[in-house]
Amino acid sequence: MSDKWVLVVDDLEGMRSQLRMSLTNSGFAKLHLASSIKDALERMAVNRYDVILCDYSLGDSTDGQQFLEYLRSNDLIAHNTIFIMITAEQAYEKVVAASECAPDDYLLKPFTAAQFDARLEKLLGRQEYFSVIDKAADEKNWLRVIAECDKKLASKDKYFIELCKIKASALMSASRHQQAADLYREVLALRPIGWAKLGLARALAELDKKEEAQLLLREILAEAPQFMAAYDLMGKLLSESGEKEAALDILQKAREVSPGTMSRIRELSSLAVSAGKPEVAEAVMRQALQKHKFSPVRQANDYAVLSKALVNQGKTAEALSVVADAKKSFNDEHSSVMLAATESVAHRAAGNHEQAEAALAQAMSVSDLSKLSAHTVVALADACFAMGKEDEATNLLRHAIQNNQEDESIRSKVHEALTAAGKDASEATAMIEESSREVILLNNDGVRKAEAGQLDEAIASLCEAADRLPNNLQIVSNAALVIALDLSRNGKDAEKFSKCLRYREALIKKAPNHAKLPQIDGLLKQLKP
Amino acid sequence: MNDLYAAVVHDVKNQLAELSLRLGARADAQQEMVIAMNASRRLSEMLLMHRQVNAQLTVNADSVDAADFLAIVAAEYRELFPGLKIELDTAAAPAMAFFDDALVRMALANAVHNACRAARSTVRLAAYEQDKMLVLEVADDGTGYPEEMLKDGGAEPSAVSGRGTGLGLYLARKIAELHRLQETHGRVELSNAGGAVFRMFLP
Repeated sequence: MSDKWVLVVDDLEGMRSQLRMSLTNSGFAKLHLASSIKDALERMAVNRYDVILCDYSLGDSTDGQQFLEYLRSNDLIAHNTIFIMITAEQAYEKVVAASECAPDDYLLKPFTAAQFDARLEKLLGRQEYFSVIDKAADEKNWLRVIAECDKKLASKDKYFIELCKIKASALMSASRHQQAADLYREVLALRPIGWAKLGLARALAELDKKEEAQLLLREILAEAPQFMAAYDLMGKLLSESGEKEAALDILQKAREVSPGTMSRIRELSSLAVSAGKPEVAEAVMRQALQKHKFSPVRQANDYAVLSKALVNQGKTAEALSVVADAKKSFNDEHSSVMLAATESVAHRAAGNHEQAEAALAQAMSVSDLSKLSAHTVVALADACFAMGKEDEATNLLRHAIQNNQEDESIRSKVHEALTAAGKDASEATAMIEESSREVILLNNDGVRKAEAGQLDEAIASLCEAADRLPNNLQIVSNAALVIALDLSRNGKDAEKFSKCLRYREALIKKAPNHAKLPQIDGLLKQLKP
Repeated sequence: MNDLYAAVVHDVKNQLAELSLRLGARADAQQEMVIAMNASRRLSEMLLMHRQVNAQLTVNADSVDAADFLAIVAAEYRELFPGLKIELDTAAAPAMAFFDDALVRMALANAVHNACRAARSTVRLAAYEQDKMLVLEVADDGTGYPEEMLKDGGAEPSAVSGRGTGLGLYLARKIAELHRLQETHGRVELSNAGGAVFRMFLP
């Protein structure tokens, strides 16, 4: 045990020192203590922990569960790290059962040293057992996760069900939805477990069996009204099919059960804004930001949504003060652009034309559009529309679509921005289709040129597109592929080679199982040293 | 539950937690630690009862390794009752078991605590399969359950009783019953066989 790194997160000084003594007695020498989430994050940025012990209630701010969900959803914690929640509350059980993001174990206070040691010993055994699978999952190498699970599933040991769960979720991540659905059904045949039902609903939704998915979700919620993830998926399905009011209702219901994480608050408030209920968005987001004051789980975007909700109610002075408040916490480039765009809209609504122009100019001065998230790009477009800069706005939205071709939620965001700017729905859809078609043509054109042997032209056009649209993996993969083809035919060229590797790296980072990778690697392997 | 009550209970449990860790660091405070742990368990039972009464007690069954589960319970009580022999018999435990481990842990803790108090020298924890159900068994070598306990022990908790409130047993029964699979549901059986035997059957 002594070689394991442990981090203790607890706001109570007494508990921290008692835990330290307990852990030291149990043979853990490498031990850090943190008194807040901020502290913990700073520690985690420079040190890799094998075990994190975190108290559920951390004073009056973000709690341990919300912290864990933040860590997992931002890939800030390795899959193999053991996360143990410590809590004095029986009620926590409800929280954890309701969440998809469960800690590896939780300890109800008070516990004895022997109880703690015995549990940790089991968890360390489990950590060892899953280490290869977890490593593959950290790399998002889902095919490898699946293969490693298969190896272990054969022995039908005590981790059988857990392996099924991990494998099914890897199948989902690898877009093998049918196989995932089959596996969830296999588990359900053994026992009607909540996570398997939810997994099946998710797989069915991906397989375009949305009604079946909704039916299953209603069943889950009838049996277990505290199953929060079921509300979230239900809300998503309803919202995607345009039933915004119903989606809002579901998420409101979920909030009554548990306020939950920032991600639900975000969904709910942007849904409320787009469903024409800015007062709901305002109330929900204000309360959340109050609770998470100074906490790292907040994003600039949260203030932007709140500002939008206020502007839509004519409360422009309040909106401006929200933006000013946000600027104090966020000063990275991404957030600054988002907030400047938001500020511009609020100024415009308040009739401060010059200040609106200035804020927009500041937002538009961003160095590289392709580095911004789609949400920020859409916010920029909103601001352009508000200032009557139609062309700029449409260009931005086109970029958002082309850079995120596969992302349904971005399409609906863009659609919303267009209709909010006064376009009618069919015009908006047509524009989205056209942007999407444009990039497909561009891609096909590059591929055709390559096939016709015009490699230089193919490389030029695909690389230009790949640099402009780094999220569009079809383009990026083809750019890497044509360069590799060129290198294999015409010999090594240092500049091209490093460019090819750069695209390949980008591809691996986002999709380590991308279908084009073996082809690219095959060509690169043929290169003479 | 009233937020203030919940906050007070929470605070008391935090203090008991710190107290029991402090006592654990001393070699001479075993019995005091038993008292702190038990006091806290009583608070937990009260909170659980509150949820049960309000129909908020729901079971989230998932796969649990019964042998590992009992090994952890045994480790805890070996520390609390170092004078007793706590035996584990999980050789016949089924390969796969499904239950809500947090709730069942609570339910079993009460039985194990009572067994440790009643035992002369040995408490035995066992897991096995019977009639397609998982059985978790707690047996001691004490004087056994009194007749009225065997008849309807834990049917209803009561505020007046010589042997505690019966709340722990009542909750254990409820928790077992909430575990359902199709037509079958869990149950608790008490018997005497060389001491008291507590059995929880889970589908």
